Amino acid sequence: MKVTWPHLGHSDIVLKSLFRDLGVDMVIAPPNNKHSLTLGVKHSPEFVCLPFKLTLGNMIEGLELGGDTIIMAAGSGLCRFGYYAKVQERILRDLGYEFDMVTTALFESKIVGVARLVKRLSGGAPLSKVIAAIRLGLAKLSAMDDIERAVHRVRAIEINKGIATKLFQEAINAIDYASDMSGLKKAKMDYIAQLNDVAVDTKIDPLKVGVMGEFYVVLEPFANMDVEIELGKLGVEVKRSLFVSHWTKFSLFLNAFGVTEKEKTHRAAMPYLKRDVGGDGWESVGEVVLHAHSYNGLVHLSPFTCMPEIIAQNIMPSIKADIPVLTLISDEQMGRAGMLTRLEAFVDLLHRRRSASLAGALG
Amino acid sequence: MTKVGIPRALLYYQFYPMWRTFFSHLGADVVVSAPTTKSVITTGSSRVVSETCLPVKVFCGHVRSLVGQCDYVFIPSVCSLEKGSHNCSKFMGLPDVIKAVVPNCPPILDPDIDLAKGKRGFYLALYHLSRPFTWNPLKVKAASEAAWQSHLTYRDLMHNQGLVPLQALAQMGLEPEPDFHEPGPATMTIAVIGHPYVLFDEYINHKLIRRLQGMGVRVVTAEMAGEEDLALSLKKLAGRAYWTFEDEIVGAGGHYLERNVDGIISVVAFGCGPDSLMIDLLQRQARKVPTKAYMSLTIDEHTAEAGLVTRLEAYVDMIRRRKNSV
Ligand code: SF4
Ligand code: SF4
Repeated sequence: MKVTWPHLGHSDIVLKSLFRDLGVDMVIAPPNNKHSLTLGVKHSPEFVCLPFKLTLGNMIEGLELGGDTIIMAAGSGLCRFGYYAKVQERILRDLGYEFDMVTTALFESKIVGVARLVKRLSGGAPLSKVIAAIRLGLAKLSAMDDIERAVHRVRAIEINKGIATKLFQEAINAIDYASDMSGLKKAKMDYIAQLNDVAVDTKIDPLKVGVMGEFYVVLEPFANMDVEIELGKLGVEVKRSLFVSHWTKFSLFLNAFGVTEKEKTHRAAMPYLKRDVGGDGWESVGEVVLHAHSYNGLVHLSPFTCMPEIIAQNIMPSIKADIPVLTLISDEQMGRAGMLTRLEAFVDLLHRRRSASLAGALG
Repeated sequence: MTKVGIPRALLYYQFYPMWRTFFSHLGADVVVSAPTTKSVITTGSSRVVSETCLPVKVFCGHVRSLVGQCDYVFIPSVCSLEKGSHNCSKFMGLPDVIKAVVPNCPPILDPDIDLAKGKRGFYLALYHLSRPFTWNPLKVKAASEAAWQSHLTYRDLMHNQGLVPLQALAQMGLEPEPDFHEPGPATMTIAVIGHPYVLFDEYINHKLIRRLQGMGVRVVTAEMAGEEDLALSLKKLAGRAYWTFEDEIVGAGGHYLERNVDGIISVVAFGCGPDSLMIDLLQRQARKVPTKAYMSLTIDEHTAEAGLVTRLEAYVDMIRRRKNSV
């Protein structure tokens, strides 16, 4: 058996660590790229949302490389995402692939359910070993999130642009290789220290821009055309509350902070959107209300035809909060030039607004 | 009398008799928006972002036309109708979206209908919904029972007498008799698959069903199949229901692929999220049954009547030729 799975940001780290520890063979599809996108688009229904197409592309590449067992999230409350696996399995079979599709309801199951699944895949490793491996995997995830927060801060004000991004890449590798908790801790400390040592211009007070929206496009840099790196290049500090580690409920329960953060966002959304609409629509509305006074602007990421984000987009203009929101829609065209132009214009606008309000406050 | 407005769009086609009975029993006057017109669509579209699906745009136009006509508008947030399945995001967020985009919208009655969470919550929601009309729980109970009865009657008319919603509503005296010209003896049977608010809003689909009937086609829809049959076909094709209305698309499609029909037409509204996947499943299955001619139509606000008619005629001709050649 060789397991493979579609990518989601840096979540690979967890599965890699897990399966390496348990001696499960795996095939890692190449990171999202033009080719996997083209493959996905070719075999997907035309009007399905982008994450479907990209994850299908990963699956095809994983199978081509010899994978025979696909791991995929499913389950209710996930909007179309929860239905992806059903249709993707059919598409892959129609293409003639032979494989097992293992779905896991990440949002509902307790850690036990996931542990059982992993145990099965590992051919019956003792549960204690499975739990230890899962724990290490999740610890890697949260270490990465901590490092990423530091990267966001440094990127905006580093003197030589690109160093933070390079360190981030190295950190991902180091964390990936850590084989136990102490190694992981060391790698994390090491990179946080290195990031803190990057030469920065302390005189700059960077604009703070929140990045939010549908989780897949927020977390998968290929899908959002590296919007965070681009914002960093423009001297903007990215603020993001969505991290891979928040994505699963069981890690939410390891991470109480994530829960309260989410509840706070929902409460903020209440006057405009009273209920969960699946996906991340509720959070998107909440973030606008919540951060109207703490950030200079918000970049709202949404896949083309994304249902919950269309709800959010329709509601946002009615929010009585004075904060500019730039909605960027990701589709398979990946029009990078257009995205950059809009981003630059947006950042200019934020600068002008800030100067005007400073001038107002002084004068 | 307090006037409750009901937009003639989305779930209207499935639940109007139920809703009407409920509010009438509570002593309210029910006002329904007039059938869809060009201006309903234009006002609707102009209020929401362009990516929004056509049926929600239409809904929005209908609410707009109710402004000033009623004291409340009824827009439930329908999250689930049974355990395990969920509705499309747009149904859940509908009242909130409408509040945000329709200026001067009358107060919205927006109960949360989430039957997956159990009956108790549902009864509470009904009780809250009734607050503007009565505080008496017994009155609410009586109204709910009457409402359920008229829903059963409505469904029965469709299942057992083979009526489409507009005809069934007419039978119940809730709509003027539609001038369906009695089609002559039908020469073929075609199943038309789609959400009721797409199939039975005659303006947005350019009278698709009536046209087919005019061409000598007997049209069958999900409403005419038994619920158990739909559920069974759905299970065979896609496993447990994931979407609230999966049975009327995947279930009905699968059902008619195994019945004595000559063709299947699926009608999808532009921008529909769930259908992008459900119709794909159906299409894949249809390919395995080449004896049934399958055609998929997508409808948006710019769909030209002439183009649609041409496609329908070509399709019907093709089936006719096929039938004659065997
Ligand atoms: S949230 Fe958006 S992108 Fe994600 S599954 Fe739903 S529609 Fe697709
Ligand atoms: S099911 Fe499709 S057509 Fe209906 S509201 Fe949702 S997206 Fe729109």
